[in-house]
Amino acid sequence: MAASVVTDGLTRVFGDYTAVDSLDLSVEEGEIYGLLGPNGAGKTTTIRMLTTLLVPTSGSARVCGFDVSTQPREVRRRLGYVMQSIPWQVNRQLKARELVEIEAGLHHVPPKKVRAAAEEALDLVGLLPFADRTIEQFSGGMHKRLDLACGLLHRPDLLVLDEPTLGLDVQSRHRIWDYVRTLGEGGVTVLLATNYLDEADRLCNRLTIIDRGRAVVTGSPADLKRAVGGDVLEIASSDAASLRDSIAQHDWVNRIVAGDNGNLYVYVDDASRALPEVMRMALGRGLALDRVTYTQPTLDDVFLLHTGTQLREKVSA
Amino acid sequence: MVDLGVSKAPAVAGRRPSGVARREWMQEVAALTRRWYLQLVRDRLNLVFSLTQPAFWLIFFGGAMGRAVDTDVIGTTNYVGFMLAGIIAFTVVTNAMTGAMPLLWDKETGYLDKLLSMPMARSSLIVSRFLFQFGVGTAQVLLVFLVAVATAVDIAAGPLGALTILVVAGLLSMSFSAIFTALAFRVPTHGTFFAITGFVTLPLVFMSNAFVPIEAMPDWMAAFARANPLSYAVDAVRTLILDGWAPGVAGSMAILAAFAGICLGLATFEFRRHTGLRVD
Repeated sequence: MAASVVTDGLTRVFGDYTAVDSLDLSVEEGEIYGLLGPNGAGKTTTIRMLTTLLVPTSGSARVCGFDVSTQPREVRRRLGYVMQSIPWQVNRQLKARELVEIEAGLHHVPPKKVRAAAEEALDLVGLLPFADRTIEQFSGGMHKRLDLACGLLHRPDLLVLDEPTLGLDVQSRHRIWDYVRTLGEGGVTVLLATNYLDEADRLCNRLTIIDRGRAVVTGSPADLKRAVGGDVLEIASSDAASLRDSIAQHDWVNRIVAGDNGNLYVYVDDASRALPEVMRMALGRGLALDRVTYTQPTLDDVFLLHTGTQLREKVSA
Repeated sequence: MVDLGVSKAPAVAGRRPSGVARREWMQEVAALTRRWYLQLVRDRLNLVFSLTQPAFWLIFFGGAMGRAVDTDVIGTTNYVGFMLAGIIAFTVVTNAMTGAMPLLWDKETGYLDKLLSMPMARSSLIVSRFLFQFGVGTAQVLLVFLVAVATAVDIAAGPLGALTILVVAGLLSMSFSAIFTALAFRVPTHGTFFAITGFVTLPLVFMSNAFVPIEAMPDWMAAFARANPLSYAVDAVRTLILDGWAPGVAGSMAILAAFAGICLGLATFEFRRHTGLRVD
């Protein structure tokens, strides 16, 4: 498999702030690859460098085999880019068909094929019935689908999606996910930046967790979660500190981490055996237990394990 | 699936065959021009007002001021004929200012970034915008002409003179479009843009010979007016309308052409500076 995106020590500094710090990525062709991290982690800055909009301060990046710094136009020819913010107001008077056709022209789709290519792209995202409506009549979900249509109408080798479902309702999110999956099955390489755990978990073949400009860990969602351990007990207790001390002594405990929400996250091999132990111990020592739940590890547990903070808390904060 | 046949073949040594590059560039300019055009015509009310405003100015302002003006000062009894040149200059300047706004919005909303991530030449963006502005400006000037001729202004230099006036208006339009575009890329936000243009536009027009001859101005103002490129455009147009072909016209046009060149250089520099944070 050839590499679609390779970065080597990719770094971007703004003044005295390092937005992206020595990032090494390797995205294979045909992958749906995620950049997962909280807002401000450096995802968009990374994407702006990969889409040739921003010069790296140091390090290098090759996209579709071309260097972003020295061969930006070759990179742009092979790229579809769906931006995070939807600047639809700026094209509000245009009909959906017109915008897609205009962008097809800017991507050098042969003039005779522009119409067909535009219709095909609109059809793929379910907007063909609305092709002759002006963009100002569209809902938020339809704007995003239109953006997606514009991003893929010229059949890019690499589709870059920056927070493709930010601010969308559940139905629209699922629709976008379906389209992205369809694209992935069609062999398009997708680079997806997101701060939604479920989005990364459901869509990505592999992902890199980014925090404060640095790559924290890379792998498939399943592998990353497996590395966390078998099960996770989440314990809410007003005596969390004492409880932690008592639990930590037992050999069935792989790891204990205190979450940003004050709860204890106890990583164990088998929750069905650990749960009674915790109960017994708390009762025996007179420690309060407000709530105990157990789950399979999620990407949030992966994030917590590697960064010591919870992505869920950061995003909702 | 439609076979698009979009050429992704890597360019040999970074260059594509010049024929392909030219065809792509024309396609970019055409696509962008279509966008500028649709943005304008879909905004009907704006279109009607901006196209007809100069003609209204000529009728109402010219009709009213004509009686209050000392014909000895302006050197002709035909004030509407005198004012026509000023109206054309004023139209071109305001048209150039509003013409910079689509690029300003593109920059501010981030759509410019989307455009810059596409494989197009940077120049097609600026060139398409200037050509489009040139077209709109010409349509406005033609409309003013028709109204002026209908209200008994004869163009002394004849039809060829009228054509020359369009060329002068075109040069002026190019210059000021370039200046305002440069400003649009320079300013941090649209607020600054409007603050500066609001402050500058009227003094720029009134510190020229657009509505008052330079000879009638106080010395300090006359000095400004002589340095104001707008005065040379007005002078050329006014001469062609009132007196016909005169040697001064060519000189004024030469100065104007030089000015247009400088402005285009400035706009290109600002555009490059702005997009230079990105790679190209």
